[in-house]
Amino acid sequence: MEFGLTEEQEMLKTSARDFLETECTRNHVRAMMEDEIGYSPELWKKMADLGWLGWSFPSQYGGGDGNFRDLTILCEEMGRALLPSPFISTVVLGSMPILFAGTDKQKQDFLPKVVQGDLTLALAVLEEDGDFWPGGINVRADKRGNEYLLNGTKLFVWDAKAADYLLCAARTKRSPNPEEGITLFLVDAKEWGMYITPLDNIDVLRKQYEVVMTNVPVSVDNIIGELDNGWLVLKKMSLYAIAALCAEMVGGCEKVLEMTVSYAKERIAYGVPIGSFQVIKHKCADMLSGIEYARSLMEWAALALTEDAPEAPTAVSMAKAYCGNVGKMVCDEGTQIHGGLGYTWDHDMHLYFKRVRASDAAFGDGNYHSELVAQYLEQV
Amino acid sequence: MSTDAAKLDAFRKEVRAWLKANLPKGWGTPVYNPPDPFSQEAHELGKSWQKKLYDAGYTGFGYPKEYGGIERPPQEIAIIREELMRYGTPGGPLSLGQLMAAPDIMAHGQEWQKKRFIPKILSGEESWCELFSEPNAGSDIANIQTTAVKDGDQWVVNGQKIWTSMWEFADFGILAAKTDPTVPRHHNLTCVIVDCSSPGYTRGPLKQMTGSAEFGEEYFDNMRVPDKNRLGEVNQGWGVVLTALMSERSGGGGPGGGGFWAGGGASDVAAALGTGVLGIYSLINLAKETCRYGKPVWEDASFRQKIAQIAIEQEAMRCSGRRMVARMRKGIMPTNEASMIKNFQAEMRRRHGDLATEIIGAYSQLNRGSKRAINEGQWVYQMMRARGATIEMGTSEVNRNIIAERILGLPRA
Repeated sequence: MEFGLTEEQEMLKTSARDFLETECTRNHVRAMMEDEIGYSPELWKKMADLGWLGWSFPSQYGGGDGNFRDLTILCEEMGRALLPSPFISTVVLGSMPILFAGTDKQKQDFLPKVVQGDLTLALAVLEEDGDFWPGGINVRADKRGNEYLLNGTKLFVWDAKAADYLLCAARTKRSPNPEEGITLFLVDAKEWGMYITPLDNIDVLRKQYEVVMTNVPVSVDNIIGELDNGWLVLKKMSLYAIAALCAEMVGGCEKVLEMTVSYAKERIAYGVPIGSFQVIKHKCADMLSGIEYARSLMEWAALALTEDAPEAPTAVSMAKAYCGNVGKMVCDEGTQIHGGLGYTWDHDMHLYFKRVRASDAAFGDGNYHSELVAQYLEQV
Repeated sequence: MSTDAAKLDAFRKEVRAWLKANLPKGWGTPVYNPPDPFSQEAHELGKSWQKKLYDAGYTGFGYPKEYGGIERPPQEIAIIREELMRYGTPGGPLSLGQLMAAPDIMAHGQEWQKKRFIPKILSGEESWCELFSEPNAGSDIANIQTTAVKDGDQWVVNGQKIWTSMWEFADFGILAAKTDPTVPRHHNLTCVIVDCSSPGYTRGPLKQMTGSAEFGEEYFDNMRVPDKNRLGEVNQGWGVVLTALMSERSGGGGPGGGGFWAGGGASDVAAALGTGVLGIYSLINLAKETCRYGKPVWEDASFRQKIAQIAIEQEAMRCSGRRMVARMRKGIMPTNEASMIKNFQAEMRRRHGDLATEIIGAYSQLNRGSKRAINEGQWVYQMMRARGATIEMGTSEVNRNIIAERILGLPRA
């Protein structure tokens, strides 16, 4: 396992950065903040043409046979550019469970369309308690003939309005072990009985929704993985989701530091650039150092997943706990150093600030993952 | 198993067998009573251990053969490091030879100096110290006041040095002195290799808050040093000082450490933190064995969080070391990143020490000598010693300035 980038990965990174600098301009980001579905289907199509949507999928489903580390490189650049898109929702949260646990027919039915940019997905898993854990799943799925009827409410669903299908975790059996009895259903977002309303979350570039389901019918053919055994699939997928979010956070933080340093060089106070004050220098040095170590853990997590290494869950938890904390620190200091300017709606600083908060909260925050790390350490 | 894998597996067995046969009797068991870390005994043990390793070809990597370097395939070096760590082998001699002197001589030395000094640093036979810091030249290291005046083919040195690590057993030192009072700072220093037994060289201990005298101070009274011992050009000593500081910072200090120039590096030091007193498992065991308010500390969520944080930071450091090695393979040599590594490690060491003393509660008040001290008082000692870590090799503040100015390009005041 080699840290850093191969020549091909360097090229991927550079071309992704160039593409996003041209396509995902400030005006585009600002327009998407106000947009109802929150992304541009035209840009999505261009991303498909570049092969991004199927980068790490097997070629038999139209994918590029790339590895997971490559995918996280794209996420770094998207985080940097604040790209408003359902990329992680579609490619990781929705598609990976299909890839891991779907039947060959399901893979053939859904994945090539994802790769082509013709199908978007979202994950509906969290409910009222807001925590990613099996005990929180109470949406019911009751069998009726050849289909199930889904009833209940999902919360904090990313990109639901942008999605054609929602991958929904529902309870098909009560069991003393909460992991047992959860089944994954691929639900048509336009299906009768689906009510999707915005939650008005702070991260306006990754909109979240409430999804109320009233007797929503789903065919047994749309069950992903085994009946009652869906949680393990979600748990496996969540490792990849976390690594992708960490990559996005690191990419965003690097941009925040660049913005902050260049501001500190230009902004004059008391007759000198504020960057000549040691108190500002030391904050910037801490930001750089935090990002350095966050990147190291993120790369470790992505590489461990790419190679299916046994330490992957530990690496992922360590990366999530560390990247979330560093991300919050970097955005706090970045906002502080930008002074009044960074506190305005018109400056981009708050967009990074809010994204980091959302990513930190997703799939277990720093406290949760630190406890997991303690449990892993105990087993050694 | 492929033939390559089989060969490496056989090599690993060979290293293990060698270690079992050569480690001090009772090593790693409660029967073994290690010497006090800064004692003569520890130094002698470190010296003989280093020599054994060197003779077996298990250390001395990263230097050309003609300077005593040992050449081996990287996979074998990795196996050797892993096995040394697994057994928690003794440290080297109390010397800054591998960490500071060898990389500095390699970078700035004359051919005869490389041939004469580097082999005996690698074998541990000769010990080294660094004679830079002075009472008024700590963070502001360019403010050196010790003078060296040319007299024929010799330099006459007068002045004082302080805060010298590994001072007591040093055979040689790299000394920086002011050689031209008329030119500006950074252009007025010259470095020389000093024989510590020279007439006019006196040294003594400097006791710190821990109660130990790990550092020393030296006085030079008309000490004569031959010009052939000059390291680098006249008045170009600042670069020689910087190379030494950078090697030292990135290696993270500590006896027996090999800076990353020596082909080892931050990654190894960080990995070594996994075991031993400063390792994460020592904290976990302490938390499991210590009961507070009637239950093991390890069951307390707030302590678990803090221990996990340190484990995460240690892994982050290990991964950063591996990233640095990957960059070096592409020919990108680290420079100012050393300040980042040094600070991260020193500040983590403080948190580690604080946490250990938080775990033991009231016992955190007892010195190493106390009959009631827990684990011979090592936790309390480490907690206090960590206060030195954020000062030595450039204070945390100086290193933050270096990071901000030289990496991020922020303007100087």
